[in-house]
Amino acid sequence: MFILQLIVAGLAVGSVYAIIALGIVLIYKCSGVVNFAQGGYAMLGAFFTYALTTAGLPSAAALVVSLLLMGVVGALTQTLILRPMLKAPVVAVMMATLGILIIFRAICLLIWGPDQIGFPKLFPDGSIEVGGIFMTYNYVAAFLLSAVLCGAFLAFYRYTPLGLMQRCTADNTRAALAVGIHVSNQVTIAWTASAMLAGLGGSLLASLNGLSLGLSNIGLVAFPVIVLGGMTSLPGAVVAGLILGVLQAVTDGLLTPAIERVLRDYTEIYSVGALQQVIPYALLVVVLLVRPQGIFGSKESERV
Amino acid sequence: MLEVRGLSVRYDSVIAALEGIDFAASEGRIVALLGPNGAGKSTLLKAVAGMLPFEQGEISAGRVEFGGVSLKGKHPAAITRAGIALVQDGRQCFRNLTVGENLRAASFRHAEGSAERLELVLSYFPILGEFYERPAGFLSGGQLQMLVIGMALMLQPRLLLLDEPSLGLSPVMVQSVFAIVERLHEELGMSVIVAEQTVPRLMEIADDVYVLSRGQVALHAPPQAISEDDLQRLYLS
Ligand SMILES: Nc1ncnc2c1ncn2[C@@H]1O[C@H](COP(=O)(O)OP(=O)(O)OP(=O)(O)O)[C@@H](O)[C@H]1O
Ligand SMILES: [Mg+2]
Repeated sequence: MFILQLIVAGLAVGSVYAIIALGIVLIYKCSGVVNFAQGGYAMLGAFFTYALTTAGLPSAAALVVSLLLMGVVGALTQTLILRPMLKAPVVAVMMATLGILIIFRAICLLIWGPDQIGFPKLFPDGSIEVGGIFMTYNYVAAFLLSAVLCGAFLAFYRYTPLGLMQRCTADNTRAALAVGIHVSNQVTIAWTASAMLAGLGGSLLASLNGLSLGLSNIGLVAFPVIVLGGMTSLPGAVVAGLILGVLQAVTDGLLTPAIERVLRDYTEIYSVGALQQVIPYALLVVVLLVRPQGIFGSKESERV
Repeated sequence: MLEVRGLSVRYDSVIAALEGIDFAASEGRIVALLGPNGAGKSTLLKAVAGMLPFEQGEISAGRVEFGGVSLKGKHPAAITRAGIALVQDGRQCFRNLTVGENLRAASFRHAEGSAERLELVLSYFPILGEFYERPAGFLSGGQLQMLVIGMALMLQPRLLLLDEPSLGLSPVMVQSVFAIVERLHEELGMSVIVAEQTVPRLMEIADDVYVLSRGQVALHAPPQAISEDDLQRLYLS
């Protein structure tokens, strides 16, 4: 039963990883740029939600306003910082995204300080029980919200005209231009959507684990997720996010205590530290060795 | 309808690909644009379609006008809306998307009447209807060529630019591509500029021929006035 409990909690956290990772994949698909600032957007979104709730907004309204603000931030950073770099090599643009991450961290440090902040309660206390498995409302809400957002986003990408333009841009920019698609606007849209996804993901994570500058490190968890998912596959990112969430929860709840028990019996070592934080990278290494193109990725197709 | 005067194009601010080109295509004509590898055919078509800025190219001198309106500095989206569609070399389409999605993507610029145009395209290229739900990446070279021409038709152009449509196709396929070009011209009154290296069949349907060589117009004459020898000489020079 306990393992089921862990899996359910892991799925909740994993679904949040999924929406954060979706944004990275979205941008990568249409511009070839890996956005190292994604964790920064997640952190900023969480701070926005924090600031809005402490200013007295009800949590639902705070989440929505923060989501919209993050859209604006995403669009602005793309237009002001990255669009002028149109002719720069992709690597230079990626370095610029690192710069964005540093700037976001500096801004948040300046305004909210370096300490862990008690994140306001977005969801009521209490828990539900299904077949012996308990889940706090926090986890239920995080899971439902990210699941709905994931679903909505994938449907948008697959079935709407704007989604089709996104897919065209991702597939072949030369062809997209020739049929009259404004490719650079599509990239702006991708950044906007990505920042919104990250912002909501950040708020949800903060509601589970509290808020500090350290939240921006979530970007580092998102990278194993997208590599695992195959870099260009949106469903792949979702599945990989869920896998990682579950693995972390199981490591934290079962594996770490088991290892520590053994160690304590035979050695002087009492703790193996936060093993669950190592798991994403261990998994990353294994996947890269066995299946370099990721679980859902196809072999790198020709790029023009 | 298309007027190019003194056009010079450079890539990466140094490589001169075109030098002082004069070129014109009048309403309802088929113009053949010939020349050996690297002569500048694709560059000229890209300059007209506004694609140069996306390939580190720029117009360094000269004018490009369509119906009296300058096209210089315009985004490809604006140029398609003005009535020019470019079918690029290499059969550029969206290979991970279905044939249907490819055609739909090409109809965003002119949403009204797109249902009728789709019907028209499918009547010209029944094979596209058959493979409508299949990813474009599964099509053969000839079928891809039909798809990209079909996509250009969805843009409702008055002037169609075709860059080496016959490259890599079987002789039978080449014949049918040019048959299509002729039908588009006759049935829809479309003006067409076709860039090719050598194609006798193109000489039969063209009204006017330009031969480019090293970024300059080496010859401009009606097709009857051009002999096989002339072409040989220009291509070898
Ligand atoms: N993107 C580019 N960057 C730099 N130089 C280029 C670029 N595209 C073309 N060129 C150069 O410009 C010149 C003209 O090329 P262009 O592609 O227009 O020739 P073409 O007549 O279409 O040849 P082909 O029959 O081989 O397609 C060539 O010397 C080529 O090397
Ligand atoms: Mg060419």
